[in-house]
Amino acid sequence: MMKVVVGAGSCGIAAGAQKVYDALKVQNGDKVFTLTVTGCNGMCFLEPIVDIYDEENNLTRLVKVTAEDAERIANAVKSGDLQSVSDLVISDEDAAFLTKQTRIALRHCGVINPEELSDYEATDGYKAIRKVLFEMTPEQVIEEIKISGLAGRGGAGFPTWFKWNAARSSAGNEKYLICNADEGDPGAFMDRAVIEGDPHSLIEGMLIGAYAIGAKEAIVYVRAEYPLAIKRLENAIKQAEEKGYLGAHIFGSDFSCKMRIKAGAGAFVCGEETALIESLEGSRGMPRLKPPFPAQAGYWHKPSNINNVETFANVAWILLNGGEKFAAMGTEGSKGTKVFALTGKIRRGGLVEIPMGKTLRDVIFDIGGGIRGGKQFKAVQMGGPSGGCIPADLLDTVIDYKALGATGAIMGSGGMVVMDEDTCMVGMAKFFLDFTAKESCGKCVHCRLGTKRMLEVLTRITEGNGQAGDIELLEELCYSIKDGALCGLGQTAPNPVLTTIQYFRDEFEAHIAEKKCPAGECTALVTYEINPDKCIGCTKCAKNCPVGAITGAVKSAHTIDTSICIKCGKCAENCRFGAVEVH
Amino acid sequence: MSKITITIDNHILTVEEGTTLLTAATQNHLKIPNLCYDGRVELYGACGLCVVEVEGTPKLLRACSTKATDGMVVHTDTDRVVRARKVALELLLSDHDGDCKAPCTKACPANTDCQGYVGLIANGEYNEATRLIKEKIPLPSSIGRVCPHPCEKECRRRFVDEPISIAFLKSFASDMDMASATPYVPSVEPDSGKTVAVVGGGPAGLTAAYFLRRQGHSVTVFDAMPKMGGMLRYGIPEYRLPKALLDREIAQIAALGVTMKNNVQIGKDVSLADLQKDFDAVILAAGAWSSSKMRVPGEESEKVLGGIDFLRTVALGAPADIGKTVAIVGGGNTAMDACRTAVRLGAENVYVIYRRTRDEMPAEDVEISEAEEEGVQFKYLTSPIAFKEENGKVVAVLQKMQLGAPDQSGRRRPEPIAGATEELPLDTVIMAIGQYPNLEGFESVEATKRNTVAADEETFRTSEEGVFAVGDMTNRGASIAIAAIGEAQKASVIVDRYLNGEAARYKKPYFVERNPAPEFFDKFPKAPRAKMPQLSAEDRKTNFKEVSLGFSEDAAKKEALRCLECGCHDYYECKLISYANQYDVNPARFAGEKHQRNEENVNSLISRNTDKCILCGLCVRVCEEAMGKTNLGLIGRGFHTIVSPEFGLPLEESNCMFCGQCVTVCPTGALREKEPVIKRVPVKENSVSSVCNFCSALCKTDLRFVGKTVMRSLPAGDKGLLCKGGRFGIFSANNQLPPVSPEKLAEIADTVKKYGDSVAVVLGPTATMEELYFAKQHFPAAYADMTEFSAAKDGAKLLGITPVSEYKGEKLAILLDCKKHDAVSAEYTVLLSNAYADFADTQIFTAPFTANSGTYLKGETKAVQRAAISSQLPTALAALAALCGAKAVSAETVFADLQTAYPALANRAEDAIIEKEIVRGGGKYFFNDQSVSVAEFCEND
Repeated sequence: MMKVVVGAGSCGIAAGAQKVYDALKVQNGDKVFTLTVTGCNGMCFLEPIVDIYDEENNLTRLVKVTAEDAERIANAVKSGDLQSVSDLVISDEDAAFLTKQTRIALRHCGVINPEELSDYEATDGYKAIRKVLFEMTPEQVIEEIKISGLAGRGGAGFPTWFKWNAARSSAGNEKYLICNADEGDPGAFMDRAVIEGDPHSLIEGMLIGAYAIGAKEAIVYVRAEYPLAIKRLENAIKQAEEKGYLGAHIFGSDFSCKMRIKAGAGAFVCGEETALIESLEGSRGMPRLKPPFPAQAGYWHKPSNINNVETFANVAWILLNGGEKFAAMGTEGSKGTKVFALTGKIRRGGLVEIPMGKTLRDVIFDIGGGIRGGKQFKAVQMGGPSGGCIPADLLDTVIDYKALGATGAIMGSGGMVVMDEDTCMVGMAKFFLDFTAKESCGKCVHCRLGTKRMLEVLTRITEGNGQAGDIELLEELCYSIKDGALCGLGQTAPNPVLTTIQYFRDEFEAHIAEKKCPAGECTALVTYEINPDKCIGCTKCAKNCPVGAITGAVKSAHTIDTSICIKCGKCAENCRFGAVEVH
Repeated sequence: MSKITITIDNHILTVEEGTTLLTAATQNHLKIPNLCYDGRVELYGACGLCVVEVEGTPKLLRACSTKATDGMVVHTDTDRVVRARKVALELLLSDHDGDCKAPCTKACPANTDCQGYVGLIANGEYNEATRLIKEKIPLPSSIGRVCPHPCEKECRRRFVDEPISIAFLKSFASDMDMASATPYVPSVEPDSGKTVAVVGGGPAGLTAAYFLRRQGHSVTVFDAMPKMGGMLRYGIPEYRLPKALLDREIAQIAALGVTMKNNVQIGKDVSLADLQKDFDAVILAAGAWSSSKMRVPGEESEKVLGGIDFLRTVALGAPADIGKTVAIVGGGNTAMDACRTAVRLGAENVYVIYRRTRDEMPAEDVEISEAEEEGVQFKYLTSPIAFKEENGKVVAVLQKMQLGAPDQSGRRRPEPIAGATEELPLDTVIMAIGQYPNLEGFESVEATKRNTVAADEETFRTSEEGVFAVGDMTNRGASIAIAAIGEAQKASVIVDRYLNGEAARYKKPYFVERNPAPEFFDKFPKAPRAKMPQLSAEDRKTNFKEVSLGFSEDAAKKEALRCLECGCHDYYECKLISYANQYDVNPARFAGEKHQRNEENVNSLISRNTDKCILCGLCVRVCEEAMGKTNLGLIGRGFHTIVSPEFGLPLEESNCMFCGQCVTVCPTGALREKEPVIKRVPVKENSVSSVCNFCSALCKTDLRFVGKTVMRSLPAGDKGLLCKGGRFGIFSANNQLPPVSPEKLAEIADTVKKYGDSVAVVLGPTATMEELYFAKQHFPAAYADMTEFSAAKDGAKLLGITPVSEYKGEKLAILLDCKKHDAVSAEYTVLLSNAYADFADTQIFTAPFTANSGTYLKGETKAVQRAAISSQLPTALAALAALCGAKAVSAETVFADLQTAYPALANRAEDAIIEKEIVRGGGKYFFNDQSVSVAEFCEND
């Protein structure tokens, strides 16, 4: 029987996948083909995606499908001749987006039905935990992870085996394993894709971790803004419990572990492990002083281990395929693969998993297809608000914890926001700082007030009120905050500012000294003018101006009254003759 | 635990393994600043002040949480550490809204604590007010009378109605002090062996002499005039400052051991070089005694006098034949003094010639008005251009003026109207247009272009080693007396350091300041400024009697109550301001949005000001971790995080037991006790240890008082705990209660005597340990309320007193110990009284210790005894005992007996509170209106 699979991750659903699915269901009333769903396959820029598998499991991938296409798709599938939907078939160029990747953490995403345990089982699901429980001691598991070189994928890149070992070695019988799924970086959605697309691999990875450290309870702290992920994970936990994969005496072994979900209340800082623990305990999400580290005294002051979703998603694969196979990928210091969420001014935005050691250029240009609309690449922000920007001349930097760190940015959890020539870097720094300032928990002085004051300085620079010495003041605050802030949120908050100053100091200086925004993005610093030589008097700009700032007779050059103009840019967007100039 | 060795700033310390660096430093008396640490709560790490550098660690580490390891080398004062702390403080201060000190205090050139003494006056603490003033001004009675009070110009009360009458209150306090049985006598340090010569016995010289003498130096003041006082004596007329009063204030300075030598002129009787040779330091404060000239023709006439020359002549009692028609040229205070003196000398037509209008006159408005009342005629917009002698008169040729554009001083510049002149025939002209110093005899010292002595503004040093200079003779020349006093006071600190071999500079302290919005003042009801009673114009113009008659005590107190209390009540305990000055902060560079929530205080006992909160979280944490409550919490995020009572409700509506722990731990003025005084006032308090006597738990307290006024009761036990009664109940200390009448006591005594052994005493539920003990000692049958809710229960048990439930019907005198005297407990008293009415023939209400004599209190508690002076009657219990023939024992005896007999008492107190307040959910019945009724607990008995 032919199989029709609709990509129904959050990204697909947002693009209309549910409607496509519903329409296909109506068309498949006679059940001629199998209709099912899968998670996000990473090609967010092509959603909704419908995959058609024939009896031999050959795949035809249709992209940017609408509900209106359902009827002809159904007919094509029923007839077995897909020629009539060839206009929807993915281009070879786009298809390369996937073929150039190496997928481990995302190995099932967009492939299996995340709501069916059998799908997961059919792809070696729960084999690793079985192997671990009956063939390996916890120490051997930790050793295998050590061989793999797996490091924390949440951002800090701390060796996973070390944390597991520390938690295992801590005294006490009551230990906890926690999964950090509080993915809060703007532009990051790796963890969501894993939970939505392959929840059982997270469960299995966590079970292996729990066995390794000796935990009897595992908790997934997932942000409440991920309702679909929570739903699918709840469903998966229930399925696993019913099958005896979770709970008492798993697979009849001596190992017991229960699992539950804790929905976060929407604070970025709860992605910081000690704040996460506070939140889990029902307190206000504020970081604790370290030491003691969670491995010594975490949840309810018991030894606890916290890993990120992507980290756990690699674990079952490593145990099945061997740590050495994982370690064979990557660089000296960074092993395996890494998932990136490619967003911004990129042509092909989505999830990309590649082996460590590739360059940024590989990801952004080779896989991502470069900048949209033929513009110039300017910089990429790595690691979200905790990371930094990397300029064009460092595009050949390899993806490696150390190499990325040397640029001033970080590997981070995998957010990659690509910026083009029209992006003001001061504005970019301000954007990320605005985020961290608002998300500061307010506990320590440097983060609460330091980021606030930095934001004020950046704001005045972008508004044309920058003063001589502002760059130095920013730098001083940056270093003070890095030194003085209590947790990772504060300590890394200055990174976007420091790297933009490092690589784009001239832009800061232009804002301050000349009161100019070279990218033309800071509205307070630009004026819109109509070039009378280019304007043909089509009146389109005037019609689109929301404040009536543009006047002029038909077929004669128009003018903008700058005292009324709110610099929204609608005129420039709508002018077909390039007559609206931004100064 | 094993011992390890660490090094902190080159001190090698041996500490227990596992000790944090902060604890290790503190144990060894090394200071590491911190704002969010308290031993009773878990580590928090918010403030970032305790950072230190540890060798081998690239990051700065928080000393509060870093555990010492063997061989660790720690540096607490490297540049990096200091910079980090400074930035942390600057960031905190950039969002800290308040006034460390009131605007009046900052406006005073001598930084007199105006808010402090005004508040003390409101509380009737005149000696204390004087002591406070004399920390800055040695001549308050005189200065209060003559000062043009820059303080009042900045007084924020002016935004409500009119400024506080700060200057007159100063002389009032000082007059009261001088007239009291125990005038304030400043302390003097032991002799230092150093000698100081002060040249000039005016306000500056006397001030320098006063402060340096107090530091133990041997000071000699040299003055050219026959008596000390300088311009206060020879420039201020008697009717403004009676010289008898000035004499008394100078005598007080002399009494400290200052040597005063008059009729000594430098350069003539003794040279400056001699002084330099004979003394370890010399301070020049000779003033500005020469009248300025206008440089107009005829000015050299004998009938044209200098203003201060004229005033000096009058002050010396020399004949001043000025005739009947006199003109004074000038518009300053000297001109006013001169014209009003001329009136008093019998001049019939006295003119003031001033080249601008009244609005621009620099003289005090009140001086001008009083001159007008005395008949002085003001000729505005006129200026003399020549004087001619004609027919035995001097004729002033006056140029008419008009006002043009404003000049540098902001006043409109007078411009001559061409051709408009007037001639005024006069007997005498007095030129009061300014004064300058005469530097004869001081030639060896470098002068300024203005022909004043050049003195460094931060070190007060002159060009000569060991010679300092202050006051009118220096730099910008003549100014007001308080400015000279301010300089002399600052210079005396520098000179004292100089004498100790240190080169110090004066540095203006940093204060947080706020600018309240106009709406802020709407909430204050208007209350007009007190008018100073005066002699009428007719009564005063023929004599030199003092014009101002002085405030009555009532008027002064009422005036002082008008103070808006701008300055922070926590100033003397605030860690933030202390660190701010220690680290030389400049928060202005981080200036930005500042919270100005101006939240209203919503409970009667604790003052909350979130604009001063630094979010150290101590209040929230101590409430939760030490007290097991959650009455405070953090809400909001980032910059807008705030501490709030649960659900934003007033604390009184929460589960708060008012233990005051949050206030105790607050490092700033965000939380502060509302001192139960007539007028809250930030002053340095005295401390005395005492024992709370609200119940029998025997909690140790640290009573804070100023003069006779008890300000606060702070916990002094190991856990830092007092209950609401002990912590905040002391307001009864300052409110005198009506005592039991002697007749009533006599009646009771008769009853007791009549019934003899069949008398029983029942102690109520808040009886103190001393009362229990006393009753047991002196009455044959003593019973105590020992219900579950009784605070006296445990004490009574300990002493083996019988529960009142076993009372079988003897005749009974009941001692009800109503320890709190607000409306709530008055009601409680009635309830209790009714509850006992069935078996009580007689009831006695004992008063709290502080409201009456200290009989039952620990005797050395000076504060309490002083507080008790105003009450003549001993406590009812003691009186009764006396009437019954029993001997009232002293508090020391009671305590000594109790401690010997019951060693368990020592550690009982705080556990009792915890048990009472926390385990049993609050012993609310006697502190709170939402409590178990008395009838209820009597039924339980």
